[in-house]
Amino acid sequence: MRRAAGAEAGWGGLALSDPGPGPEERIAARRRRIAARLDAKRREAFGEDAEPKVAEEEEEQRRSHKQIEESRQRLAKLLFDGTQMVTNIQVAADARETQRRAEEAELKLQRVEKLESEAKSSTYKFEEISSKWALAKEMTIPQELWQLLNQQQQQCALLLEEKNKLIGELQEELKNKDEQYVQAIKKQSDDIYLLLERMEEQIRIMLKTYRHKLLQIEKAFELERRELLDNNRKKWEEAIQAHNAQELEYLRARMRKVEEFEKQLNRLRVQDEEEYNSMKIQLETDVQNLERQLQQMKAIYQLNQEKLDYNLQVLKKQDEENTIIRSQQKRKLNRLHSLLNNLRTKLASQEKQFREENQSLAADCERIVGQCKEVQSRMRHFAVSDAEKFTEVWLMNEEEAKGLMRKALDADRIIHTQQLGLPWEEPRYWFLGNVGPLGHYKAKRMATKLAAEVLTESGSGGQEEEGREKKKEEVGSGEGGKENTMKVEDRLTPLRNISKKTAKRILELVSDESGFLIESKLLRPLHELGRHERTLMKLDSIFAALKIDSEDDLYQLVDFFLKYKAQEVAVSQSQGSPGGEDIMDPAEDREDGGSDAQREETKSPQSSRGSLPSVCIHADDVLKILKAFARDFDKLREKDRPAKEVLQVQDRSKDGEYWEALAHVIPEPTLKLWDALMVALEEYYEVLKRRASLLAEAAVLQQQNSELYLLLEEYVSSGVNNKLLSPPTQWMDLSLSCPGEAQ
Amino acid sequence: MRNSTIGAVWGKSEPWQLEGYRRQLEFAGSPAGKCGGDSCSQVIFLLLLLKEKWVLNRMQQPVAGDRSTVVPLLYPSQTSLAADLHYTHRIIEDPEWSLATVPHLTELCLQHIVHNFEKNPILDRLLPEHQRKVLDRLSTGLPLTVTANLISNEDYWKRCCTERWQVCDISNYGDSWKRMFFERHLENILKRFIPNTTDPNQVLELIPLCKDYVRKLEVDQFLPPVKVDQKEERDDLSDTGSEFGLSEVSVHHYDLGVLITALPHLEELHLTYGVKDCGMNFEWNLFNFTYQDCCNLAVAVKMCHNLKVFKLTRSKVDDDKTRLLVRNLLDHPCLVELNLSHNLIRDKGARAVGKLINRSRLEILDLCNNQICHLGAQALAQALAENSTLTSLNLRLNCVEDEGGEAIGRALLTNTTLKSIHLGSNNLSEPTATLFSQVLAQNTTLTSINFSCNHLGLDGGKQLLDGLADNKALTEFDLRLAEVGQETEYLIHQIVWANREAARLGSLQHPSTKPL
Repeated sequence: MRRAAGAEAGWGGLALSDPGPGPEERIAARRRRIAARLDAKRREAFGEDAEPKVAEEEEEQRRSHKQIEESRQRLAKLLFDGTQMVTNIQVAADARETQRRAEEAELKLQRVEKLESEAKSSTYKFEEISSKWALAKEMTIPQELWQLLNQQQQQCALLLEEKNKLIGELQEELKNKDEQYVQAIKKQSDDIYLLLERMEEQIRIMLKTYRHKLLQIEKAFELERRELLDNNRKKWEEAIQAHNAQELEYLRARMRKVEEFEKQLNRLRVQDEEEYNSMKIQLETDVQNLERQLQQMKAIYQLNQEKLDYNLQVLKKQDEENTIIRSQQKRKLNRLHSLLNNLRTKLASQEKQFREENQSLAADCERIVGQCKEVQSRMRHFAVSDAEKFTEVWLMNEEEAKGLMRKALDADRIIHTQQLGLPWEEPRYWFLGNVGPLGHYKAKRMATKLAAEVLTESGSGGQEEEGREKKKEEVGSGEGGKENTMKVEDRLTPLRNISKKTAKRILELVSDESGFLIESKLLRPLHELGRHERTLMKLDSIFAALKIDSEDDLYQLVDFFLKYKAQEVAVSQSQGSPGGEDIMDPAEDREDGGSDAQREETKSPQSSRGSLPSVCIHADDVLKILKAFARDFDKLREKDRPAKEVLQVQDRSKDGEYWEALAHVIPEPTLKLWDALMVALEEYYEVLKRRASLLAEAAVLQQQNSELYLLLEEYVSSGVNNKLLSPPTQWMDLSLSCPGEAQ
Repeated sequence: MRNSTIGAVWGKSEPWQLEGYRRQLEFAGSPAGKCGGDSCSQVIFLLLLLKEKWVLNRMQQPVAGDRSTVVPLLYPSQTSLAADLHYTHRIIEDPEWSLATVPHLTELCLQHIVHNFEKNPILDRLLPEHQRKVLDRLSTGLPLTVTANLISNEDYWKRCCTERWQVCDISNYGDSWKRMFFERHLENILKRFIPNTTDPNQVLELIPLCKDYVRKLEVDQFLPPVKVDQKEERDDLSDTGSEFGLSEVSVHHYDLGVLITALPHLEELHLTYGVKDCGMNFEWNLFNFTYQDCCNLAVAVKMCHNLKVFKLTRSKVDDDKTRLLVRNLLDHPCLVELNLSHNLIRDKGARAVGKLINRSRLEILDLCNNQICHLGAQALAQALAENSTLTSLNLRLNCVEDEGGEAIGRALLTNTTLKSIHLGSNNLSEPTATLFSQVLAQNTTLTSINFSCNHLGLDGGKQLLDGLADNKALTEFDLRLAEVGQETEYLIHQIVWANREAARLGSLQHPSTKPL
């Protein structure tokens, strides 16, 4: 590195020795020298630090590479410096040129200014002169004129002189410029010479340094190669020696091994021989065995071959058959495919058809449903008309039957009284009083009526009992209508069980407390009425509001009241009892009871029994009870309805009994009596008939007798008799006397 | 060697003999040249006859053959010696005679072809080795009409060139001697062409011969037409300056249009309208590049579609001519380099060139030593900001000054293609340096900047140094005579040197990694 710096310094010296460089170049050269020196110093400063590192790297990097790199850098530097030096001239020339141009521009400006000022002053002077010409015209005195002319001439000369001076100056300048131009040309040619010189010198130096560097690089390469060779040779020799030693060792080991192996071989040979012999014997036996087996195997093989041949043929045949079958199957498959397609098309068409049918059937169904509804309505209509007709027919038939019955009874009575002379009393059958079909025999009484009854009954006190009995008799004409009365009594039981008083009390309470259900219009006129009527009217409107129509509903209402009360009482009596039931519970119980008459019957006495001690219901509870009743009432009604219809149907079965009863209005003993009587009467009639015939015969005989008597008399009376030898008259007297005697 | 010596012997010893054979050969050869196979066999038969005759002649007459002819022929001479020994007793007349001195028939034929090449050039039909022999012996003085399109052998053209010119640098001509010969030949003719005096056919005749080989034309001299005596008299009378107006009509130079448009492979055109070595005969109008000349040139250049490099230097190109040229060069398909240095271009011309930059594929533009001021520089800078092809711009020796320099600096903030810029001797000062420090910090494509001979000042130099601190692309930065101070210059030089090393290493590593 230091060498490089030295070389550079030397190069700087060379540059210094260049003949006749311009000032700029000298400056540039000086600068470069300074730079080189600085560079060298810096390198020295760095070099001390860098050297150990370089030494380390040296081992990694090859020396030749380093040499090349170093040379390249130095050459590049040299080249750069050289070109710099050469181009310095151009740059200097450029600088001069720019300077010259600047100066030139300035000079030009000055010149122009000068010319302009001169032109201005000269024009001024010229104007002065020319103005004086006018003055000259006015001059009259020749001396003055002459003087003036002289003056003018002088001034003109002055002007011209000035102009000429300027021209002279400019020409001088031009000459100077020419000289400058010549100088510049000379300078430029000098520059070019310098340029050439420098170029040549640079080429020379470059060549020299290139050669030098090449030599150095080659030397470095040589050195490196030699080192490498030495190293490698050393390595090689070492390796060879090691190899030789190893070879020797191997050889010895090999010899040893060979001896060992020989021994082993001998041993092995002996062993093997023995083994061989034994093996040979064994193998021979084996061979024999195997030959035998081979024979066997051959036989088996033969057999198998034949079998296989046969099998092969069979299989071939089967294969042929299979091919045939396959072809058949294929054909069949095709056929079936076509069939399938046909069926598919058929299916599609059928589906379509069935869909259409389905549609038509749906339409039909709708139509039929309509018809059905119509038929139902018609049926209902017919049922109604049938019922009417039925009642009509019933009435007609009943009338007829009643007529017949009455006839029979009359006949029975006549028979009894007149024939048998027995006292006859009219039988009292229940059906005798019946008019119309059995199911409709009873129209329900209205709730209000019942209420009115209740109220009035309570009012009349004990009379009502009798009145009821009376009514009963009225309805069910005596003992004969036992069944009928039973029913009525069933219905009345709840009311009857509840004492009339309590019922009355309840109804009054209801009418008093639920006045809000009554329309306000109605209230006013009610005041004018009597207490009894007022209560009735109120109840009427309340029932209308609660939709209580029939007496059943009324009974239920009363019953409900009582039950509710009983419940309350039970709760109050047994405070700690677990049966803390709702208000709903009795109501539910009642629902069951409503549908089943028997249970109601069994229950109602209990409730009535329970209610009896606590008849007084508090007026405040009435509303609660009514609310609960109204809630449950609808349910109850729903449940009642089917039961009623069943009842109606049951009624029909009794028609037969009714008609049977009608038919048997004359009891069996009476009929028997009648039969016996008829037989007796028949006999009597026979007797009578014989008697009648006998009477007729007797009459005829009497007539004949009378006639014969007449005849006889005639005969007798006639002369013939006397003529006769023996007159008949003797004998006749005897016969005549006999008939007369019987009559 | 052998051929040439034999040829020499022929030429020396038996001119009288050859005459007759030559005639016969001509007689035989000419139909052979015209016709095909049959005549060829005839020719061979005749040649055989000729040889026989020649041998007989030799036997009859003692030949004063040089020893030198026999000496190089080692083996034949030995055999001949043996033959001599055998026949010595019989041939008493000429003991030195030997059969070996008789050249081969092919030699003779080739010799003849060479001699008659001008009238009957036969080359293509010969075997390659014979072709070579013929070409070696051909004279360089043969007319170009014969040789131009027939001979493509480089050795022949090398001989032509070296005989004609002392200095021959083939590397400038694409390593082709033929191309060099024709280009220089054409250049010589053009340099000596005097309009109205020289026959224009001189050039026109050459066109078909050289049009396939000329790729570059470097004409540094165009002679003006010769003046009439009357004018010369007037010259003596009047000043040199008054010449302009009078000689306008006849002062036009040779119109290159016909020539250039006829050269299909022309790629480079270097022109200088001026006279060299005029010495004391200097007159201003010798250097007059007229508007008509410019028109002709512009039209010609426009027609020349393969032109890549166009240089028109030292030709007094002013603004109008520049604009005319630019107008014709707009959208030129190939033009890559334009050199208009050492002319008289001012701002208007620079503006025109700026327009050209963005309407062509220009990569290198040289406008050094013109008179472009800041307006022109601003126009160029505007073009530069939009351009993406130009890589090198030279504005040396103009007077761009700070305004222009700053404009160019701003353009370089956005431009990413320009690699080299020369702003030497442009009267720049510190503001430009400030802006360029910014450019240096931002631009990564610039590799070379030249600020020599400006007045950047010490502060400007420091700013440039600051800007350069992070730059890794710049490899050349010329600040000589820029008044930036030695230390700054040195530090900048260090940075640039380091960048150059890095670039070199990068370029070394790059190709080394590629093959892997």
